[in-house]
Amino acid sequence: MATRPARSLAAQERRFALALLVPALVVLLVTTTVPLVYLAWTSLMRLDLAMAYLSGFAGLDNYVKMGSDPRFWNSLVLTGIYTASTVILQVVIGLALALLVLQIPRGQALLRVGAILPIVLAPVVVGLFWRTLVLAPDFGLVDLVTRSLGLGSHNWLGDPDLALISVIAIHTWQWTPFAFLVLLASLATLPPDVYEAARLDRASAWQRFRHITLPLIRPAVVMVVILRTMTALSAFAAIFAATGGGPGSATEILNLYAYRTSFTELNLGYGSSLAMVLLAITLAISFLMFRLRRAR
Amino acid sequence: MSKQDRIGPVRPSRRRVMQQGAALSAAGMLGAPFASSAFAQGDELAPYRSAKIDWKQAAGQEITVAVIPASYFENLISLQPQFEALTGVKVRFEKVPPGQIRQKAVLDLSSKTATYATHAADPMYFPLYVANKWVDPLDRYLGDAKLTDRAWFNYDDIIKAWREADSVDGKPYGIPYDGEVTVQVYRKDLYDAKGLKAADTLEQLVANAKALNDPGNRMYGLALRGFAGAGQNMYIYPSIFRSFGGQWFKDKVLTVNSPEAVAALTWYVDTLSAYAPPAVRNWNWPDIADAFSQGTVAAYIDAHSSAAVITNPEKSKVVGKIAYARWPKGPSGKRVTSIWNWGFPINAALSDKAKAATWLFITWAASAETQARTSWKFAGPAKRSGINRVSLWKSPEFAAAMKGAGDNFIPAALESLEHDTDVDWRPRVPQWPAIGDTMATAVQAALVGQKKPKEALDEAQARIAQIMKG
Repeated sequence: MATRPARSLAAQERRFALALLVPALVVLLVTTTVPLVYLAWTSLMRLDLAMAYLSGFAGLDNYVKMGSDPRFWNSLVLTGIYTASTVILQVVIGLALALLVLQIPRGQALLRVGAILPIVLAPVVVGLFWRTLVLAPDFGLVDLVTRSLGLGSHNWLGDPDLALISVIAIHTWQWTPFAFLVLLASLATLPPDVYEAARLDRASAWQRFRHITLPLIRPAVVMVVILRTMTALSAFAAIFAATGGGPGSATEILNLYAYRTSFTELNLGYGSSLAMVLLAITLAISFLMFRLRRAR
Repeated sequence: MSKQDRIGPVRPSRRRVMQQGAALSAAGMLGAPFASSAFAQGDELAPYRSAKIDWKQAAGQEITVAVIPASYFENLISLQPQFEALTGVKVRFEKVPPGQIRQKAVLDLSSKTATYATHAADPMYFPLYVANKWVDPLDRYLGDAKLTDRAWFNYDDIIKAWREADSVDGKPYGIPYDGEVTVQVYRKDLYDAKGLKAADTLEQLVANAKALNDPGNRMYGLALRGFAGAGQNMYIYPSIFRSFGGQWFKDKVLTVNSPEAVAALTWYVDTLSAYAPPAVRNWNWPDIADAFSQGTVAAYIDAHSSAAVITNPEKSKVVGKIAYARWPKGPSGKRVTSIWNWGFPINAALSDKAKAATWLFITWAASAETQARTSWKFAGPAKRSGINRVSLWKSPEFAAAMKGAGDNFIPAALESLEHDTDVDWRPRVPQWPAIGDTMATAVQAALVGQKKPKEALDEAQARIAQIMKG
């Protein structure tokens, strides 16, 4: 008899807690889930503002169309190249920097603060900054360096191959500090006794790195790779500001192609399906990587 | 009505200063030292009041107008108090960068939110607007004696090429406010030194560029827009294509990879690769005008309105050394110029009252008087060169205001507008946004050597066939 009111009190409290949560849940639902569902729905529609009279349900037509769309495949390949190269570069450079900085006895804090600077810049600003000050032919910083090294002046954002390299460099520049900071923090926590033991066993520096450091910081590396991959896949603003996907379609990764299809060509249906493909790829890769993380 | 009521006490605006100035001068003329500002206002609005319509018929309405942040619209915005005093309609101007105004307008029109009563519209978008019935046909408004005094407004005085660009199937859907036409712009001094003349054919244009091209001394022969965009490289390439004898439609099928198209694109790529600054691949008109101002480019073909940049003594080193000419003829013997105008449509989603207010705004902005007040009568340094009326182009006041632009400025522009264009110099179809973007990408891909011209155009054709099919 005594427990019943208590239980109903608990139930009441739970209900009250739920009621308090409802506004937050609704906001979350409205701002994240609903647009996503709407995007998925739109991707199944023929919705081309230029030919609004043809609008209607199209089933999987938009997805079928991608098979024979060379620009889609081009953008998919570019997305792959862009993501793989930026993530590898970030981890390699970030790790190298972290190992280097770890040797510095003083001033680490200053370097950490400095490293944050590119991260806090808005990607659009980064793109414009590189486009106008760093990569512009004739008076850009990079051009100045290559010319003084006798490598000549180059059209960094105007040449198809150089443009792709340039946008990869921009992304790497902005986000390597993230990898650097995470890996530095992770390296700083490694137990020194293991290294001492290794040294007593006459393990070389490379052996120590390969067999002690890497396995120990593996979780951190995998985490960095996952986070950076997701960002690289959804990169947009810096490329949009620096090249707009050009020249031609040389830097048009999937995200930019989806944008141009939706908002420049006004083909919202097809653009949505492209965005859905990007979403699927991002989810699939993240899923695989999380599996990888658990594997050992 | 006191000045305080109308303007507010905070800071004397330009309007107030101008008005007081006008009041003072009027007072001076009449010998009445304390003439009211209401009198000055009446004087100021007299040219409009001569129209036989009731300007106050939509008083109390509020409309929003989207324009781009450009001096020719700034001049108009500075006259806003005059319009509000004339009609009692409140106007809110929203400045949207040119890269976004099309998208914003389309989003507004397609969702029927009626945010923008009217906006500065890209003429190539009218087929899209009309296919979706997003804007009203304006013949109704022009023909309504309550709304328009035909003799006063004189629609036919507006430059025909721009009127047609804002019409679909002969019906007007937008009224041109400001426009431009592309012409050859060249360095008179350099041409004279080598005994060169403004090119009459594209071959001569290349020969001139070759004669003056000297990259070692930072001098390039020619520049044309290379930046990808429906309004950038696809503003210039169509003129070359048409002057090579190209036609957009073959048996009603949009064709972009005809032999003429390949020849035109090859010419464009070869000429720019040989005689233009390497960075031209990413250049839009401001970059070209800047380079020309710095004396590193001997000639370019672009909008006549770029004269404002290259004749600005604060920024340009070539003031006084500039001359203009019409487009060179292509192999087909035709000159084809690229034209542009910002026209004002009426959003079909508005209420009837708001539509009337919008129409009054449009006729006010496009009227000869407002055109003059934003050009040579404008007090600031930026005198508009894109005025919309033939009569004004031929007026001595305009000639006087433009005399700093350089040799042959008005004749080159006006003859180009009257003879060197037709409404179909670009394919006017509702799918233009997609087609323009596809072509822009193809043209730039060819320019940077990513693809051969034929290959680039074949791919564009395949994509465009897909787009047209839907």
